Amino acid sequence: MSAILVVDDSKVMRDMVVACLRAITGTSFVQASSGLEAIERLSLAPFDLMVLDLNMPDVNGVEVLEFVRSQDRLRALPVLVVTTRGDDGSRERVLEAGATGFLAKPFTPDAIIAEVRAMLPGGADSGA
Amino acid sequence: MTAPPDLRDFLSAYLVEAEEHVTLANAELLALESAQRNGENHPRAVRSIFRSLHTLKGLSAMVGVEPVVSIAHRLEAFLRRFERSGTMVPLAATDTLLKGVQAIAQRIAALGRGESPSAPSPELLRELDALEWSPGAAAEPAAATIELDPALLEKLAPFELAQLLKASGDGQRAVLAEFFPSPAKTAQGFSINSVRERLAKVAEIVRVIPRSVPATEEAPGGLAFALILLTSASDEVVAEAAGVSPERLQTVRSAAPLDVPAEASFDGALPVEDEFDGVGLRRGIVRVDVNRLDEAMEGLSALIVTRFRLARSVADLAARGVNTRELSEVVADNARQLRDLRAAIVRVRMVPVSDLLDRIPLLVRGLQRATHRRVRIEVEGGGAELDKSVSERLFPVIVHLVRNAVDHAIESPEERVKRGKPEEGLLRISCTARSNTRLELTVSDDGRGIDRKAVARKAGRPATADDAALLDLLCIPGLSTRDVATVTSGRGMGMEIVKRIVVDELGGELALRTEFGAGTTFTLRVPLTISIVDAFAFECAGQRFVVPVAMVDEIVEVDRTQVVPVPESGDGGPEVAILLRRGQAVPMVKLAAIFRMDTGVPAPKAIIVRRGGAPVAFAVDRMLGQQEVVIRPMNDVLIRAPGVSGATDLGDGRPTLVLDLVALSTTFNLPTRPAELRA
Repeated sequence: MSAILVVDDSKVMRDMVVACLRAITGTSFVQASSGLEAIERLSLAPFDLMVLDLNMPDVNGVEVLEFVRSQDRLRALPVLVVTTRGDDGSRERVLEAGATGFLAKPFTPDAIIAEVRAMLPGGADSGA
Repeated sequence: MTAPPDLRDFLSAYLVEAEEHVTLANAELLALESAQRNGENHPRAVRSIFRSLHTLKGLSAMVGVEPVVSIAHRLEAFLRRFERSGTMVPLAATDTLLKGVQAIAQRIAALGRGESPSAPSPELLRELDALEWSPGAAAEPAAATIELDPALLEKLAPFELAQLLKASGDGQRAVLAEFFPSPAKTAQGFSINSVRERLAKVAEIVRVIPRSVPATEEAPGGLAFALILLTSASDEVVAEAAGVSPERLQTVRSAAPLDVPAEASFDGALPVEDEFDGVGLRRGIVRVDVNRLDEAMEGLSALIVTRFRLARSVADLAARGVNTRELSEVVADNARQLRDLRAAIVRVRMVPVSDLLDRIPLLVRGLQRATHRRVRIEVEGGGAELDKSVSERLFPVIVHLVRNAVDHAIESPEERVKRGKPEEGLLRISCTARSNTRLELTVSDDGRGIDRKAVARKAGRPATADDAALLDLLCIPGLSTRDVATVTSGRGMGMEIVKRIVVDELGGELALRTEFGAGTTFTLRVPLTISIVDAFAFECAGQRFVVPVAMVDEIVEVDRTQVVPVPESGDGGPEVAILLRRGQAVPMVKLAAIFRMDTGVPAPKAIIVRRGGAPVAFAVDRMLGQQEVVIRPMNDVLIRAPGVSGATDLGDGRPTLVLDLVALSTTFNLPTRPAELRA
């Protein structure tokens, strides 16, 4: 089972991401509605992957990334950043801050499924 | 593996969230505008508006609502630089921003009606594109005078620093609390979300900053949250809310330099903003389509019917001398549980009145500009809750009353000055829950009051000094023409609609108090909950009744040649006959007989319902037609009086019973032997 943390302050957005990723067998989901909640959850339980929104109150996605990469035990966590800012500048900044992958909104279910599959450490289904 | 979803399926959830963002953006824009008029900056509002627009853009793109994407994108692009720099948004731009949000709201409303949203007009796009970034004054307070860990200090935005500096002048102090998440804390109910919620009640949260700490027993996750607060509460109170010991709190001292620039002075206490601060934090909230609740309610009704049958079977057993004490207790428990469940479902449908009232300031703002009136609006008491369907009906009523007050009742500023009134008119809306069942809402203005003679003249009736009689005149249909609106100080417009909704649809009361030259107050009293159904009205033994359409299988003429009497069962119940319908034998009971009002006259119509799948016919005298009725529950009659689910008013002012014929059919015995039915 791969545990995926889905972080977005929009409930609809989180539900959409989870609905897409359910198509990958062997996944379970935890949702966090703010950057703070995401950081708290990451510090208390192990996850195999995080899907992270950038635009959030209090602590935005880049700050969450910076925190994740500053922690030894989270340094290798695959993080897929999902954002409405799809320009190259944003992509670069996000990847520099430590994101494993970058996906611009709007995306199709197939696009996010493919991204996440590629990032999951072998455990989840092989894509058959 | 499951198939990937169709994202269009999320459209209804999208609409709910989009509406919330529109409401929030409007409220924040109004807060921003009022700050701007006082020459003040409001970076928090700008941040919130920016975030709402950004989210709207992203969500709309996901579900393919392009017109909203293109408007939100332009607004967001304009605000981005102000959000980043914390500089002042020019007052002139706010108007365009409001227009843009309004255009988004219209498109979302269209989607909600099932229409496809129109592309934004070229004029609007031109206006949005013309919005220009102009660097205004930024807040740059002297941060060095705040005694705080530099690592935290550098994370604070200029306006947050200004907030800390200003606090000391307001009798508040700045406090740093640290919260270490751990499984033990989680088990005690302390998470960053719950801590924030608790702290928000005793302090203003300036900022929460996560930081890595060495992993210890106290901080097993290697994580601490630094919460920077402003409060006037004691250390003990704050520490308890944060789940730490008081000695762990640290007071943050600061000294404001003597020459803090005016732009930097940020008013920490912004009521509108505070009210909305919590919106994103309403944890554990689930949004539900009202239809799903109706389904739950229907399921419950079916359970209640089953319970009647159960109770009846138990009674039968008891009649046969079986000891049913324990069984009866179970049935009684079951009744209580069903009552609780019903109350719980009703509660889920309740929405805060503030949902309605929050929309009023924006409406008044638009009206003021259109009519060149100046109006101050006071809204009081949005704490009460009422049923969603009541709330939806009530909104147009409030809009009518507010519109009339601003359009016509409140005089122009010049006229007001001439009459010795303040230039600015006052519009007050207040709302209080009376007992647990009624809401009282008043809309009052200090305008010119209603001209009794003019109203009477127009209505062709004698003038009256009595306010209730005056209200009756105002509510005469057809009195609401535009010229009347003027002579009656605007009170004619739409009043018959107001009365129809408040009195006829909601079963409420409407009252008026007016003084010529001094102002007018409308008072509405409406029930907090109603349920509305499509129903057939019919007559039986000289009485009128209604039955929900959904319950009725068929309505037929009773052909006397097709009715076969059944020998009396001798159980004291109503006499049952067999109605042959399309070759099928349907047990038929005269409704009048059940109510012991039978006059022996044959009843020519029959209403057929299904009892556990099998048809049962109720003979009645006359069908009166189909209409929407508001059912008012009669003290848990659903459980206590089988067959009567409430009362309604068909417009004649007399209570009419709403019958649950399915439940009623379980209160008497039907012929059970097939031989009887084949008769």
